[in-house]
Amino acid sequence: MFEDIPVDVGLVHEGERIRKSDMQVELGGPKVSEKFELVRLKPEEEIDPGAIHIIGPDLSELKEGKSHPFGILIEIAGPEIEENLEGVIERRIHEYCNYIEGFMHLNQRYDIWIRLSKKSFKKGLTSFRMIGEVMQELFRNELPIIRAIEITFITDQEQIRDYYTQALAIYEARDARARGLTDEDVDVFYGCALCQSFAPTHVCVVTPQRYANCGAISWFDGRAAARIDPKGPIFPIDKGECLDPRMGEYTGVNESAKKRSMGEVERIYLYSGFGYPHTSCGCFEGIAFYIPEVEGYGIVHRGFRDLSVNGLPFSTMADSTAGGRQIDGFHGISIEYMRSRKFLQADGGYEAVVWMPDEIKARLSEYIPESVYGAIATEKDATTIDELKEFLKTQNHPVVGRWVEMSEETNETAVFTAGEIPITTGGFRIILKNARIYADKVIIQPVQPKKPGRGEMQ
Amino acid sequence: MGTRDISIRIKEIETEIGQIKDIRFSVGRLAQETWDEPQGPTPFPSITALRDWDLTLLKRYKPFYLPFCDLCCLCTFGKCDLTGDKKGACGITMPAQQSRIVLLAACIGAATHTSHARELVTHLITEFGEDERLDPGGLNIKVEAPITRLVCGVKPETLGDLEQVLDYAEQQITSLLACTHTGQEGNPLDLESKVFHTGMIDHLSMEVADIAQVSAYHLPKADPDAPLIDIGFGTVDTTKPVILVIGHNVPPAVEIMDYMQENDLVGTIEVTGICCTGIDMTRYSQKAKIIGPISWQIRYVRSGIPDIIVVDEQCIRTDILDEARALQIPVIATSEKNCLGLPNRTGDRSDAIIDDLVSGRTDGAFILNPEMVGEIAVRTAMRMRPKHKKKKGSILSPDEAIEEAKRCTQCRECRRACPNDLHISDAMRAFGRNDPTMLAEIYDACVGCIKCEQACTQDIPIHSLIIIAAGEKLKNEAFRLRAGRGAIQDIEIRQVGGPIVLGEIPGIVAFVGCANYPGGGHELAEMAIEFANRRFIICTSGCAAMTIGMYRDEDGRSPYEIYPGNFEAGGMVNVGSCVSNAHISGAAVKIASIFARRNLRGNYEEIADYVYNRVGAVGVAWGAMSQKAASIAAGFWRLGIPVIVGPHGTKYRRMLLGRSDHDDDWYVNDARTGEQVYVGPVPEHLFIAVETKEEAMVMIAKLSMRPNDTSRGRALKLTHYIDLHRRLLGSMPTDIHRFVRLEADIPITMKEDIVAILKEKDWRETVIPDPTLIQKKEGSS
Repeated sequence: MFEDIPVDVGLVHEGERIRKSDMQVELGGPKVSEKFELVRLKPEEEIDPGAIHIIGPDLSELKEGKSHPFGILIEIAGPEIEENLEGVIERRIHEYCNYIEGFMHLNQRYDIWIRLSKKSFKKGLTSFRMIGEVMQELFRNELPIIRAIEITFITDQEQIRDYYTQALAIYEARDARARGLTDEDVDVFYGCALCQSFAPTHVCVVTPQRYANCGAISWFDGRAAARIDPKGPIFPIDKGECLDPRMGEYTGVNESAKKRSMGEVERIYLYSGFGYPHTSCGCFEGIAFYIPEVEGYGIVHRGFRDLSVNGLPFSTMADSTAGGRQIDGFHGISIEYMRSRKFLQADGGYEAVVWMPDEIKARLSEYIPESVYGAIATEKDATTIDELKEFLKTQNHPVVGRWVEMSEETNETAVFTAGEIPITTGGFRIILKNARIYADKVIIQPVQPKKPGRGEMQ
Repeated sequence: MGTRDISIRIKEIETEIGQIKDIRFSVGRLAQETWDEPQGPTPFPSITALRDWDLTLLKRYKPFYLPFCDLCCLCTFGKCDLTGDKKGACGITMPAQQSRIVLLAACIGAATHTSHARELVTHLITEFGEDERLDPGGLNIKVEAPITRLVCGVKPETLGDLEQVLDYAEQQITSLLACTHTGQEGNPLDLESKVFHTGMIDHLSMEVADIAQVSAYHLPKADPDAPLIDIGFGTVDTTKPVILVIGHNVPPAVEIMDYMQENDLVGTIEVTGICCTGIDMTRYSQKAKIIGPISWQIRYVRSGIPDIIVVDEQCIRTDILDEARALQIPVIATSEKNCLGLPNRTGDRSDAIIDDLVSGRTDGAFILNPEMVGEIAVRTAMRMRPKHKKKKGSILSPDEAIEEAKRCTQCRECRRACPNDLHISDAMRAFGRNDPTMLAEIYDACVGCIKCEQACTQDIPIHSLIIIAAGEKLKNEAFRLRAGRGAIQDIEIRQVGGPIVLGEIPGIVAFVGCANYPGGGHELAEMAIEFANRRFIICTSGCAAMTIGMYRDEDGRSPYEIYPGNFEAGGMVNVGSCVSNAHISGAAVKIASIFARRNLRGNYEEIADYVYNRVGAVGVAWGAMSQKAASIAAGFWRLGIPVIVGPHGTKYRRMLLGRSDHDDDWYVNDARTGEQVYVGPVPEHLFIAVETKEEAMVMIAKLSMRPNDTSRGRALKLTHYIDLHRRLLGSMPTDIHRFVRLEADIPITMKEDIVAILKEKDWRETVIPDPTLIQKKEGSS
């Protein structure tokens, strides 16, 4: 497939690192400001299929050991491609570059950082043309929806400026469009069954305003994947009729869930942790957990190493959350979903959130409404429910208004009471008078079978 | 558990004998109150409870026999020749006899770990009390004892809770061993099923031993950043008194370090270890040092560096006392399982024992009290050091060594005796001419068994000569090993879930086992590095973990310095000693609990089926040698995890090989549809020996495939398999078509080539099922 390329091309080179002492040249990276990679959709007739342009010095002409400004512009055409998918296709540049032996690619968009190794350069990888050929081949093979492709590499110090400014504007417009897209704007959601390989009853529903639990698949990713591989694990869900806009219940989602979970899950509320919450597999990034004492949600993410405010660590709550089940009040989520305006909308959104780790709060500061931001506690404000209650009261968190007088402590009930309990043992009679035995929970089970073999019960 | 010792306080009791006030009752185990997971079908399974599952696996992976010995000489009917179709006097056939010996070996292995665990737990209970909480990983571990939960259906919370688990293990091993009696089990597959059961018990006991010591001694608790510690001959400061500890059971070594701590001696004495005690004591203290794997015993003792040797149990040379005696190094035996013929001095005063050891009045002492051992070892070492110093050159001088070499008659008996067929006699000739190069090269591949010396007709101390020739190499053995971290965190398992399904992590490779390497330890390190670079998750333990650490890249870093200790793509995860192997199988088991929320409790078959069909884990025991290695491997097989061994592994008498050409063998039930689906030969073998490092690497990549692989995951696994096959074996594999289910499985960068192959092989697309080998029973959920 890549006979004309002087170095190996394969998935095995992903993750290869090239150290400074081994690099021929550096393209982009922290030392240069003008760097970008961009995919643009164009009408087919405006594309010169297979063309590769190099504006500025080629790899062999770039000064060894130095960092250079760098841009990759890929123009594509195809009837099934829409502008919405540019970002998804653009991210393949990272993968494809890394497949090339000795060509390391990090980051994306205006932040790219590429290194070519001396070894690969010596082997003959001396022109962007080769890189372009590999990319074209891979794009055509993996994404047959691309009908025509034209690639331009830019290293010219002067000319790159215009391209760069233009690219920044396009990223901005693309982000604004993505942020503005709501679940109401589209007719199709996407289901992802990738995790079914480990959690067979879990099906993720990915909507413009609800990222997949793992945080790795957006609605755009889903859309691209479903078009590229219609038989693959990501499939379109015709969202159908909206039964409840607040809860986020759709007929199409319900039908799909029922079918894909083999009847285990019949209804799904996309924006609530109660009733029929979205199922959770195992790789969710965080958990929204309901704290009954304060009638609000705590949030904890995978990286939080201490006890959450309810006294439980992530691992314990994750155990209650996972496995493709619908558990009231334990809700697996992605961090990206927490940036959505639909985030737990039915339960009050951020007004229902009472606690989250400081790290996450800082990361989400732009997305948490200012009115409630200060009233959400972190581990610095509260590490127990009592402290949390106090904090919420002081901050006048919206949940406080909902609190009703808690009834007095319930009386403990003895599991066993008797005026007299006679026990006859070893020739003695023992009478327990007014004995009361209390237990949090009583389960009586045989402990170990008398002899092995009881386990064989058919 | 947690409800042991329920206590009831009663203010007043009237009995016929009188009135008793303020009495407190303690009731034994009553119930399991803190665990609401429903009990599965097979808690504490008997030796046949999981037979159906075993036979399901054995139907795919039939034993392929490689008799190591044609005779049976286990009873007085014999010896019986079993070659051809012959049967023994009891009626046994060759296949059954091979499986029987495997069972015997596995029983020895499992008994060893179980007894080790029992001794350790009993000691720790004496020291810390039975209510000492088990805590193998703090907040990041919810499933504290996955194997115990899975096999026994109990949830241990304290040291005392572990005793019940060991009671069960001991009962099982007794029954299993009984099966090898004359005129008992004679069906090869039934014997194999019992081998699997033994392996499962082995993992159970290993888990008990490790979580007990991690909890009580506060060894690293599932810590990816466990400290880097010193390993190698060259790390020892020989100006200080040196203690050598050999074996597997760590309490005496712990007491040595505690004694040093209490008496302000830390830093003034070197505590060095060989084999797993070495690993476990560096988990206890970063200041302890590891010399190397099991095969370093003779070379280190003969170096004259140790001032005292303390042995506990397992994998200790049985002639250690003879070797030590030659250099006047006293030996302390500390285990009832390994008394070395020494007098029991447990009841004597420490001062008297020390005087006897230092003066040479006695070669050694047998002391069953670890605390006493701690004191005596330290004090003896301090007094022995000046004495040993005076006797510098206790090992041969270079000139003497050359004179010895000159006595060689070139009879070549040494080479014949050598398990690795090393060219010893040629090297001896060169050395006699003052050219040590060849002999020094032999050092790299020498497993330290000294069979050459036993065979030598001239009684030349060949191994000593090898060490002298390789003197510089030995001095340069100074590396860094990440201390055994213990279990894998639940959180880490959750984190790798996404990357595995998205095809970013191709699999998990566990490098375990002993140091019986066919071509030196560097091969093992090279394999580990290759797969870490390929973003597999690498787990290591025991001697294999050490060997991987005894390697340097061009910048002088060991693999543990290059790769992180996290359970993640490209991580190099040293779980710890032999008994820590249970954390590797435990991690596979936890995946089922964490992702699919399958109940573990007493639910072995379902979980094994899950692991087998989904978790792309492969074990590699490149230098497998002992009976423990046999039982450890068997424990992986029952979970459906394939194991690859080096060429010496054929001496385990049979392989468990799948037949990729038998299409009928490779159907699974699709739990979604109930239909039977062909999934290809994945994993193709359950137990296979390969000759070379190159074959091993290709096999690792191949055996990491599973029926549930997503297309991206399969494409990645295929890429590694094909790439390694091309690079190391020089050709395209001929069975690619068996591993492609959908077009999307084809690695994108190889599409044209593979599509051509598929066409040629008349390949047809199939589906990716929800795979299981278990037929769903009516009414079960």
